[in-house]
Amino acid sequence: MKQALDDLHKGSNSKDLRIGVYVCHCGKNIGGTVRCEEVAEFAGTLPNVILAKDSLYTCSEPGQEQIKTDIREQKLNRVVVASCTPRLHEPTFRAACESAGLNPYLLEMANIREHCSWVHLHDRDAATDKAKDLVAMAVARAALLEPQFELTVPVKRSAMVIGGGVAGIQAALDMADAGYKVYLVERTGSIGGRMAQIDKTFPTMDCSICILAPKMSEIGRHPNVGLLTLSEVKEVEGHIGNFKVKVLRKARYVTDGCTACGDCIHACPQLAPDEFNAGLSIRHAIYIPFAQAVPSRYAVDMNLCLNNQGIVACDRCFQACTRKCIDFAEQDQILDLEVGTIVVATGVDVYDPTALTELGYGRFPNVITTLEFERLINAGGPSSGELIRPSDRRRPERVAFLQCIGSRSKRSNPYCSNVCCMNTIKDALLIKEHWPETEIFVFYIDIRAFGKGFEDLFQRARREGVTFIRGIPGEIIEDINTGDLTLLGENTLLGSSYRYRMDMVILSVGIRPRSDASVIQRLLNLSTDTDGFYMEAHPKLRPVDTTTGGVFLAGAAEGPKDIKDSVTQASAAASRANILMSRGEVRIPAVTAKINPDKCSACGLCAKICPYHAIEGSKEQGYYRVIEAMCQGCGACVPECKFGALDQAHFTEAQIVSQINQALAHSPERKIIAFACNWCSYAGADFAGVSRIQYPDNVRIIRTMCSARVAPDWIELAFLKGAGAVLVSGCHPSDCHYNNANQNTAKRVEKFWKRMEKLGLNKDRLRLAWVSAAEGTQFAKVIKEMEQGINKLTPLQIEETKQKLAKRPSKKGEPV
Amino acid sequence: MTVKIWNFFPREALYECYQCARCTGSCPAIEVAPALGPRETILKCLNLGHDEIVEDERLWVCCTCNVCEDRCPQKIPISDLLVALRNSAARRGNIPDKLEIAIELLAKTGRSMIVHQLDEMRAHHGLAPLLPVPIDEVREILKKTRLDEVVEF
Repeated sequence: MKQALDDLHKGSNSKDLRIGVYVCHCGKNIGGTVRCEEVAEFAGTLPNVILAKDSLYTCSEPGQEQIKTDIREQKLNRVVVASCTPRLHEPTFRAACESAGLNPYLLEMANIREHCSWVHLHDRDAATDKAKDLVAMAVARAALLEPQFELTVPVKRSAMVIGGGVAGIQAALDMADAGYKVYLVERTGSIGGRMAQIDKTFPTMDCSICILAPKMSEIGRHPNVGLLTLSEVKEVEGHIGNFKVKVLRKARYVTDGCTACGDCIHACPQLAPDEFNAGLSIRHAIYIPFAQAVPSRYAVDMNLCLNNQGIVACDRCFQACTRKCIDFAEQDQILDLEVGTIVVATGVDVYDPTALTELGYGRFPNVITTLEFERLINAGGPSSGELIRPSDRRRPERVAFLQCIGSRSKRSNPYCSNVCCMNTIKDALLIKEHWPETEIFVFYIDIRAFGKGFEDLFQRARREGVTFIRGIPGEIIEDINTGDLTLLGENTLLGSSYRYRMDMVILSVGIRPRSDASVIQRLLNLSTDTDGFYMEAHPKLRPVDTTTGGVFLAGAAEGPKDIKDSVTQASAAASRANILMSRGEVRIPAVTAKINPDKCSACGLCAKICPYHAIEGSKEQGYYRVIEAMCQGCGACVPECKFGALDQAHFTEAQIVSQINQALAHSPERKIIAFACNWCSYAGADFAGVSRIQYPDNVRIIRTMCSARVAPDWIELAFLKGAGAVLVSGCHPSDCHYNNANQNTAKRVEKFWKRMEKLGLNKDRLRLAWVSAAEGTQFAKVIKEMEQGINKLTPLQIEETKQKLAKRPSKKGEPV
Repeated sequence: MTVKIWNFFPREALYECYQCARCTGSCPAIEVAPALGPRETILKCLNLGHDEIVEDERLWVCCTCNVCEDRCPQKIPISDLLVALRNSAARRGNIPDKLEIAIELLAKTGRSMIVHQLDEMRAHHGLAPLLPVPIDEVREILKKTRLDEVVEF
């Protein structure tokens, strides 16, 4: 077999190219706009193309079989599939090629769905012409493809879970039960998270801590779980299967011997609001977060304790502790972990409604948030489960809930927070259960009771006497003598204004990404969506994967969700991580950089900019070399080389140049050459397609792994060929998937702008745009704007650019 | 004469409204004045078209304190909508008599209210009589705003 493969590849190195082209209709998705038969017929006329076919669904079993059969019978040594985005089906077709004995890297895809049929829905001719162009570009590139062999790297059979809420707990338990070592890193003094703060869960009205506590203690005693509380992730290095993590474990000042007897707290003179009770009660500097905390150990809050900075000014707790478990000499530690997979379960913050001054939160004591209410009605809370209002500790007889506070608003969070409707209904029923005579009013816009058992709960609340009024109050007025509140607003269903006097108002606040979500985002190279939540690799089919290999998402950090969904997602994330760990190895895409030692002059520029320190060498040695297992394949080093000694596998100089040449073969002055990075901008263009956002058809997108791969030479070449405009697009700065390699992109484009400026050329024709995977609209907007620029261009200007740029012939690979 | 209000107000902004009624709920006048309220105005524009609204004399009740716009969670420019609607309404003859009188007065005397009795009062307080208004200039400004198409003066 190996021999046969070698023969095949030897064949490919000679001029004996046999390319097969498959144009997919994708049902009506492509076929409804692009005349696929015509495209296939055109493909048949292209050089080296032995056969060209169109099929209804190329990704289907018969479609794949056809490719396999043709590879065997027609001796194809290159395959071009014109269909959807390679981000979707490249693995499918690569597998098909491989099973027919063709190296999977000899497959090339033309994206005629997301980048063509879906974005030019109303112009069959233009879409068909563009599809032909895209196929021609793919065929040109395919001719230059070379077989690649993927490196296999081992996966460490251990995992780290960041965040000890219910999602983190579930993920950690699932992986630990499967037999892998799990480090659960939690920032606060105890695991439990938001679920521990909540009194009851919806829709079943289970006691929240009662069902959570057993899982928490299981974490505490599980032999495979290393629980790290008061700990934060500080550094992450390495890659899928092999992450090296530095965790800062803060000093607890209380040793293992603590039995949580509580003698120390009475001795402590220092007081602060209790975070766990949402500030409704006080705690001491030495404290345990809550009764069921795991680990069940006290901790000293050094920001509050009198013994700051190593000076012991007060030792009352030490004196009170009979077991002598308090150790003020304890130091913060840095722990080094080596893990194969990481699950991110960092959870969410709640919206602070202080900004909505008309509601008086923070000014009127009887206006509280739902989280505060949860603590008030909880038996372990500050009022021991008695519902009292803060101003006079009297039991309220009339209670109002206000929905969508901080959600669905351009002034705060634009999205629906998902859990607040059902949480309010549950809270209303809880009050009714304990004090049935309480009058409850829920002011809402829409009640979203979409889950299993949710509608039942809603109907039950109505029958129990909870009044639902459609229309959020515009204003709350407080009676300063009684603390009572008057709500003014409009009942939209009756079309009349209302004025209700209430004893207490509960604001159903939304949830939002952690204020410091960007810390973990940067450490792990994650993307965030427009709302700031961590983004999944694919919204439907890879909902717990991230774009960083080996990193998975669980819980509300990925988007607002309730406990059940968080647990479901946590198990899914654990299961995805388990797949990697149980297999024990993973294949790394063969897109690494390579240095030709004969051309290398050992200047070391490439090593300097490599974001992964994957290039080693020295002047003495005479050359540099790429450490393949460390190279992530961004290609940032390639344009840096002045001597053309560097190239990137599967994204070679020659391949991309062939694409540019082909794209500009006809009426180049109308064309926009768009370089898009695989992770953000190409995905953003895909997203524009998925969203059916229409934009001009003259753009030709060329994919690179990172925008830093884009060589100034390519920009120059495009303009020399007479391109109307060139777009270089990548991830937003700091969102780069290659450790900020895209800062090189910005530098190189700026340098090119300067050159254009010096030559007196219109530099607007070269555009740099940061487009994230969620910004389909942004991509379309950029293309529309560039199209307007092209419309203003004269043939004279294009000719002038050609001549002026050609004057200084740049050497191969030389930065301009 | 029909004026399409969408030349003056981005229709797209109406779709931002999900009828939470914070606007009408914030209105300091809604309990005592027979006004439409922003929520209902927007809903009618969306569902019935703005023709329905511009015929409605309740359009003129609002005194544009803009609290509704301040509290709108979707940042809908409610005051712009009202101005656009009133422009259209006035051109169709839906304009309160009192406003018409005030405009006429402005065009003829340069002031929106009758002031000649004031001179006596001003003299009593030792103030100089009011200066005459450059009426021609005022009329020119009014004509430039094309107010003469709405009210004859």
